[in-house]
This record gives sequence, structure tokens and C-alpha cells, in this order.
Amino acid sequence: MKKLLLMVGLSILALQAQEFNAPMQTYMQALSLEAKNTDSTFNGFDAKRGETLFQSKHMGKKGVEISCTTCHTINLKNNGQNVNTNKSILPLAPSVNTGRLSDVKEVEKWLRRNFNDVLNREGTAREKGDVLSYIITQ
Amino acid sequence: MKKIILGTMVVASLAFSGSVPVVADALYQKECASCHFGYQPALLNKASWEKVMGSLSDHFGTDASLNKEDHQAILSYLVRNAGNGKITTNNDTTRITQSAYFKKEHRKIPLNVITQKEVGSLANCMACHTTADKGSYSERDIVVPNYGRWE
Repeated sequence: MKKLLLMVGLSILALQAQEFNAPMQTYMQALSLEAKNTDSTFNGFDAKRGETLFQSKHMGKKGVEISCTTCHTINLKNNGQNVNTNKSILPLAPSVNTGRLSDVKEVEKWLRRNFNDVLNREGTAREKGDVLSYIITQ
Repeated sequence: MKKIILGTMVVASLAFSGSVPVVADALYQKECASCHFGYQPALLNKASWEKVMGSLSDHFGTDASLNKEDHQAILSYLVRNAGNGKITTNNDTTRITQSAYFKKEHRKIPLNVITQKEVGSLANCMACHTTADKGSYSERDIVVPNYGRWE
């Protein structure tokens, strides 16, 4: 019985490894509220929509098509590479890089920068929430 | 005493003798060197750094904007440690590669050596200057990819 409880406990821990920490949950709730305020039909973030956005191609500022995957690759568990400087980027997937999506300040900074670089505008609350919901599953 | 003064003058006149003080600011290292080589503050003068930091939302075609607090801290570090040696003379642009001294030092490098994928551009110091991160750009530490030592 003790063993069973331990196993259940461990599997819950393993599941939680793929969840947002408390400050990030608060941030996601704020995004959710903002999304609802701008669109009354909004009913939650969608990882699948986030994945589609993450892989969607847009005309970049340098006249070349760009997407999030240009630097981060299609497999978020792999290293990426900065397309401008060739510098290596550590994996985005929290399952292999536990620091990812753990610091609200970092998350806000990179969402602002990268939406601007890929979409040439800031992301909406829904878009940001969708993308984060996708990345957290990786 | 005279000797010390003379010694100081010699050191001062060699303000860029192939080496610069290493990056000594953790925030600068984290925020700037996560995307590119951490260029030492002495490689640009104060006017240049002010321009770089004044245009971070379009930083060579990329959004590299910071929050207010970090922006101020990094600007202050860069300005305090900005260069005034021959590498920065007559270069108030945002590019180290626009320095006359820099251009002179790199003039003999064939274009195909620079454009090859292991290097990419002259902004990629570490590609050839193997000790650039230690602030040392001395000729004996240069190893050019697919070429070898630069002597």
C-alpha cells in the first residue's frame, strides 16, 4: 500500500513537472482575463492553436520568411540557433530545460521581442496564452 | 617615480594593444550575450553605446528591448566602461566594425573566409579570436576556421 501511494505520489509529481509554477499561473490568469475582455467568446487557451501559431510563417523585417521555428526548430526539445548571429539557443521545452517558462519577467520579455520579430507586432493576450500553453506541454 | 609615470604613459598610449578589460557585469552578460558575443564595453565609445542602447527595439533588425530598470543598469555599465582608445577613435556609429582601426586590422582577410558559415560576419569575434571572451585579441590567439593560424 505504501508503495502504491509512493508511486501515485511520484506520478503526480511527474505530471506537475509539466505545469506552470505559481507566478506563471497568475500570469496566465491575467492573460486569460485580458483575452476575455477583448473577446467575449473566448473560452480558454488552446495548445493546438499555439502550436499552429508557433509554426506559422510570416514575412520578417529582413525580407525573408520567418517563424518561431526558424530559431527554435520544430522540435522544442532540441537546441535552436539564432538566425542572425548563429549563437546556439538552449531548448525551449520545459521537459528538458527546467528553467523555461519559470520566470514571468523573462517570459514577458521574450514574448514581446519575438512576436515583434516574427509577426512585426506584439502578441495579443490570446496568442501569448496559446503559445505558452503549447510550449508547456513540450 | 619618473619611471612609474613613464610606464603609465606607455600603458595609456596602448589603450588598445590587442586586449580590453573583460565583461564584468552579470546583467550585461545575461541580457546581451544570450544572443551574441558579449562585446567588451571598451570596444565602443560612450556616444556609440548611447546610440546602441537608444535603439534596442530595432537592434540590427531585431527587437532586443529591455525593461526600464535593466535598460538603465546596462546603459550605466556600458557608459562607465566605454572605450577611448584607438579602436573607438572617430567611430560614433553603433558598429565596432566601422572603426578605422578595426578596418585596418581586418583588411587582409579574404571575403570568402568571412562569409563562410563558421564565421558569417566580422561581428563574430569568437569565430577566429579564440580568446576574445577573455578580452584578448592578440594575433597569436587567432585561429581562422578552415584556414589556420593568422601569422
